Amino acid sequence: MNSGMVRRSGLTMPVNNPRFVQKAWTRGCDFIILDLEDSVPPSEKAHARTLVKDAIGVVGKGGAEVWVRINHYSVLEDLEAAVWPGLSRINYPKAETAQEIWLVDKIISRLEAERGILAGQVEIGANVETALGVANALEIAAASPRIRDFGGGGGYDMSRDLGVEMFVDFNQFVYGSGELELAARVAGLEVHSTPYMPNLSGSVSDGEHAFRVAEATRKLGFRMGGGLHPNVVEPQNRGLTPTAEEVAAAHVVLELYEEEVAASGRAWVEFGGVTVDWYEARRARDLLEWAGLCEGRNGEKEEAVARARGDRE
Amino acid sequence: MTEGEAGMTEGVAGMTRGGEGMTVWMEGREKREGVVAGAGEWGYSCGAGFGKGAGVKVGRRRSWLLVPPFEDEVEEGLSHGPDVLVLDMVELLSPSGRDAALEGLRGIVEKAVGAGGPEVFLQIDANRAPEELRAGVVPGVSGVALPRLEWVAQARMCDAVLGRLEARRGIPSGSLQIVASLDTALGNHRAMELIQASSRVWGVSLGRVDLAMDLRAGPDGEFHLLPFLMQRLIIVAGAAGVTPLGAWWRPPARGLMASVEDTYEAAVRGKALGFRGAFCVAGEQAEALNRGFDGGNLA
Repeated sequence: MNSGMVRRSGLTMPVNNPRFVQKAWTRGCDFIILDLEDSVPPSEKAHARTLVKDAIGVVGKGGAEVWVRINHYSVLEDLEAAVWPGLSRINYPKAETAQEIWLVDKIISRLEAERGILAGQVEIGANVETALGVANALEIAAASPRIRDFGGGGGYDMSRDLGVEMFVDFNQFVYGSGELELAARVAGLEVHSTPYMPNLSGSVSDGEHAFRVAEATRKLGFRMGGGLHPNVVEPQNRGLTPTAEEVAAAHVVLELYEEEVAASGRAWVEFGGVTVDWYEARRARDLLEWAGLCEGRNGEKEEAVARARGDRE
Repeated sequence: MTEGEAGMTEGVAGMTRGGEGMTVWMEGREKREGVVAGAGEWGYSCGAGFGKGAGVKVGRRRSWLLVPPFEDEVEEGLSHGPDVLVLDMVELLSPSGRDAALEGLRGIVEKAVGAGGPEVFLQIDANRAPEELRAGVVPGVSGVALPRLEWVAQARMCDAVLGRLEARRGIPSGSLQIVASLDTALGNHRAMELIQASSRVWGVSLGRVDLAMDLRAGPDGEFHLLPFLMQRLIIVAGAAGVTPLGAWWRPPARGLMASVEDTYEAAVRGKALGFRGAFCVAGEQAEALNRGFDGGNLA
């Protein structure tokens, strides 16, 4: 089930790196993740927490949603530092049980009430990055209505937990990502999935690779991206947005379905070697809806950037 | 014999030699009593054709040809020699067509059974089980396929209706079987519970999971998620002692769009993975499935 949110590209950055934070709004991201976790050394965590409130306003100037990734082991302090007006989502790393999610949910609820944020507005992103998290996939996915999308099952932390290599020429995460996707679908959440495509160099700044992955992700019907380097933002926005040709083809499929199939009582028609049935019609409708959402999001970001530039001048 | 099949033969032989541990394991599966005709042809003796059901004699079930319940379609289907002819009340009919088909169903089923060729199954909507089974179950029918099965209660209701029909229509008690088709995420998630919901469940398939879960072609040349779902189903089926049905389809081959050659290859790959037979929708595909599950090789 799609959430209706447009989250094609997002940069994760350490909140205590002022250079990254100051430039974030110019990058064209759909979302920005201010990180308190792995990119912030333990000795800097306390200071980093003091920076989050102001950084939310700064990185969101270009229309990006602002998310914060907290630490698995300092939930209370991190949420106190992060849940402020302007925040869209808390990413909770290494999620392993439903109880953890309930705790995060409760604390967010209190902070929303105390700080004038609409109740239920702040989402939770449950990042499953361990074998235990995979084993408990459905209970985690269903633990809070704040979780609206779910999936993944690969990545650095998972490879470390399993003791497997990260950059190999086969998909080492078939089972884990399969279980997480199944759980997402059972819980009625948007599936967060990207297809496996070899990246043996481990480069995070390869725009070409990012585009190929984004395009393949879109073709599977999924919509979410995200990365670490500014080079991948534009390729992800482009790769996850339907092309003009796809939009035109979807209009044709829908017209054929409505005029030929629905009217005739038959299950399908064939047209120019293409079979049009309810399934193709549904796909076409989804694609047109997604294209519209992307266009709307692009417009919002352009307006926000124009406003931000005006303020600066 | 394919590599996968050879591996399984050795594996099973190894387990059999394993002695006591294996005996205990087999005893734990009291339902594994199906009498299997020609099981040896499958190359191993554990799993193939081992459904539940009280000593039901089961022939080979390599190809399951779905046809809409119309006389010409049934005749056409029979001419292709499928192992199982499945009269479909769900996938191949529009909703309005289903009510119309219900009226003529009994006569069509009797003709199909009377032809003396393949076994006959019905594919029905589990939520309309009472009326569809009453209309279609006659002596000679082997069982029913239940697409989009998600709830234990659905399987239990079908089980109860089949039991009543057996008693009323002179069909041996417990002989009507169920093939559970798990087309949705919830159905797959609950695979084990659904299999265990009725002792009639003989087999499981993924049905039209590609459509129901909207699984599209990935950059690796597979349908997204399908390799995972196939292996998961085969493991659960093996653990529960029922027969996994399916073929390893690769895009763009699916449903009506799968050519004879693609269907044959899907059967050969599917057999190597652990499937014992598969559903199809065109007569030529049934012939290809028979060849593929007979022990073909890919060039």
